[in-house]
Amino acid sequence: MTAPAPLLAVAGLTKAFNGVPALRGVDLDVRAGEVHGLLGANGSGKSTLIKVLAGFHDADGGTVTVAGTSVRGPFGARGLRDHGLGFVHQDLGLAGAGTVLEHMALDSGGDAPGWRRVNWKAERRRVTDLLDRFEVDVDPAAPIDTLTPVQRAMVAVVRAVGSQELAGAGSHGRAGRAGGQILILDEPTVFLPRHEVGLLFALLRRLRDRGDAVLLVSHDLDEILEVTDRVTVFRNGRTAGTRSTTGATRDDLVQLILGARDEHVAKGDATVRTDRPALLSARGLRGTRVRDLDLDLFAGEVVGVTGLAGSGFEELPDLLFGARPASGGRIEHGGREVARPTPARSMDAGVVLIPADRKGQGGALGLSVLENVSLPFLTGRARGFAVDWKGLERQAQDTCDRLGVVPANPQALFGHLSGGNQQKALLGKWMDTNPQVMLLAEPTQGVDIGARREIFTLIRSAVAQGMAVLCATSDYEQLVEMADRVLVLDGGRVSAEITGSDITKDVLASAVYAEDAAEEAS
Amino acid sequence: MSATQEQKAQDRKAREKDEARTPASTASARRRRKAPAEPERFALLGVWAVLIVAFSLIVPQTFPTAANVSNMLSSQVVLLILAIGLLYPLRAGDYDLSVASTLNLATVVVAVLNVQQGWGIWPSVLVALVASLLVGVLNGLIVTVFDINPFIVTLGMGTVVQGLIYLLSDSSTISGIDRVLSDAVLTQPFLGIPIGFFYALALVVVAWYVFDHTAFGQRLLFVGQSHDVARLNGVNVPRLRWRSLIISAGFAGLAGVVYAGTTASADPVSGASFLLPAFAACFLGSTVLRIGRFNPWGTLIAVYFLVTGITGLQLLGAQQYVQQLFYGGALVIAVVLSKLVRSRGERKRRAQAAAV
Repeated sequence: MTAPAPLLAVAGLTKAFNGVPALRGVDLDVRAGEVHGLLGANGSGKSTLIKVLAGFHDADGGTVTVAGTSVRGPFGARGLRDHGLGFVHQDLGLAGAGTVLEHMALDSGGDAPGWRRVNWKAERRRVTDLLDRFEVDVDPAAPIDTLTPVQRAMVAVVRAVGSQELAGAGSHGRAGRAGGQILILDEPTVFLPRHEVGLLFALLRRLRDRGDAVLLVSHDLDEILEVTDRVTVFRNGRTAGTRSTTGATRDDLVQLILGARDEHVAKGDATVRTDRPALLSARGLRGTRVRDLDLDLFAGEVVGVTGLAGSGFEELPDLLFGARPASGGRIEHGGREVARPTPARSMDAGVVLIPADRKGQGGALGLSVLENVSLPFLTGRARGFAVDWKGLERQAQDTCDRLGVVPANPQALFGHLSGGNQQKALLGKWMDTNPQVMLLAEPTQGVDIGARREIFTLIRSAVAQGMAVLCATSDYEQLVEMADRVLVLDGGRVSAEITGSDITKDVLASAVYAEDAAEEAS
Repeated sequence: MSATQEQKAQDRKAREKDEARTPASTASARRRRKAPAEPERFALLGVWAVLIVAFSLIVPQTFPTAANVSNMLSSQVVLLILAIGLLYPLRAGDYDLSVASTLNLATVVVAVLNVQQGWGIWPSVLVALVASLLVGVLNGLIVTVFDINPFIVTLGMGTVVQGLIYLLSDSSTISGIDRVLSDAVLTQPFLGIPIGFFYALALVVVAWYVFDHTAFGQRLLFVGQSHDVARLNGVNVPRLRWRSLIISAGFAGLAGVVYAGTTASADPVSGASFLLPAFAACFLGSTVLRIGRFNPWGTLIAVYFLVTGITGLQLLGAQQYVQQLFYGGALVIAVVLSKLVRSRGERKRRAQAAAV
């Protein structure tokens, strides 16, 4: 193929958001004929890099070289697509009832005017040929929503390849040849059943074998070890290292992801009341991903739940709160079974939820802080029919002052608050209901360091007074700081339970990334 | 929960005591609490005032007369009642496009029962109102049980109702509705203004109270903002949406009864002409007083702002077409205005935040 020079080379790329650096100078080179893995903890800069290459963000500095030619930014809305890069994002970019053929035909339009007639015959030929060449056994006329998850992923990959071939056939002769393309996959396996991932990997190997370069972003160490030739690890916006995966072990990778071994953080001693019945229990709970899960939350403890994306830990708070229906099992409040849990019933039992999607589910951005924090108290404080706005405003002012919400103005629009302040306001709202159990989903996502610490302190002090907390997060540091015990989920089941001083980032990472971690950890 | 509430009440009392002890902190809190002044909130009122003054100067013999004012106030009663009802689903983020047909249905039911079947006027009215409510129940049922966009459901239901109207009325105008109804809604004046206006005013006050001072109104607002946020805060979203659709249908029925009283007759088509003005009034109303929020006082102002413009222009010799121009234009301009005002405010607040 081309010279030993890498097909895609990124050097010293930097990018900051509002002065907060996301990329502090990352280097990455991907060669033709290899599957290259990209690993890193959350916030290490993986997705920022992908977004820069795809044209969502402009880089602040650094260089990108494609096939030996330096490409100057800004890359514009099409990113590096015109230079032979294809992207498959986690959501795959395929929608519902449209057929495979219809999706792929979208790409061949290119910049053609809208009234250009679609040559369906030629399109069908092209798509059938593409699917055949890569041995993807899918009917072009099949609607997307009749496909299995792995078929969808494969269609997305083939579609990206096909659109690169089309782009190449147009202006750039280089990319038009078979091979020499760069395909970037951003966590395509998250929603795939484990046993089907192999089909997708076989497809990636076929691409590699014809001389393409594949960059695979993933959290899953096993997958990285299985399919990639080399791997690059990002840590805190820098490249921590690039190495061959032949002969590498999981531990080597974990070490690279985490950097120096983290220290042990002492935790405030809480009195866990296991002598009393659990405040919230689940027996044989089933959801979309959660399988037969048993759980007890006792007064005075913080239970962390974590796992890989798609392992089921994300949906646990919603299931326990009744925000999404469980497909099986039962939930008990203080030992009494709740027939059909709904948010309202959970709230009545003193169970509250702070969802991960703060802007979409946590609060109404277009309404004031006062209106947002007083929603649970409207009837509780009603005098006759009337809402006691004066009293609610006093309470909201007090909540803002106590939790240090800035600005401490209940009339401010909720949407104008920063992420950290929004979260503090929501936390204050639920704290004011004197809950027994607080369910948290990624509680410090998009929250700055200062607010993060304040939130931890608030939660710990409430727990010291007898509240129970369940915190579902993929942020290990947070679990190290907050949790009394951590449940690690894999395939919807608890694969490991880590308690007390055993909770360190190392132990958590190896438990999450390894199925056989149960013995190591406990 | 009740124990919790008691606890909360005690907490609150303690807090109030604290505040009483430290007046300085309360004062500073109050200062911080002050909402930013938004002169845009009163822009429509200003334009309205300018219109009134202008028409009074241009056509002094006909415009600023007691008869004209009384006429303008009473002529909009039907529209106002309809628009106030429409506010409920709009507040919850749902469109009800069937209100005009429902209005027409109520009118025709009153006429058919009272004139053709020889029923008493009040039983006829009662049946008309029940029929209207049924339309709302059905709308809500389809919207919430099958989770379908109310825009399309009410569009379809409105057409079904329109068909029903033709069936009931045999596609003809029925006149001769009992004068009792006209007396009750129109002719009897109070303070020189037909009584119907005060009915509508009462409904505005009720809507204002419901929206601003009841838990129902506040929850409606949250549903309109985000179904998820409302749901995760324990609000029964489907039930609330359903209720709001029943309310709008009920108001439409009421408006239809008043309309029947106003004209003492019922025809199968004229109800449809209320649909666009009702939406125009609601949207224009959302640019006044509480910008970006559908609110009853704003709707009242919008209704009378629109009729002032139309009446004034007609007194100047403009023809029927001016009505369409005005209502249609108002709806489009209102939507654009509220968007502009909101993004302007957004920029201002951003700038302020950056300065801090």
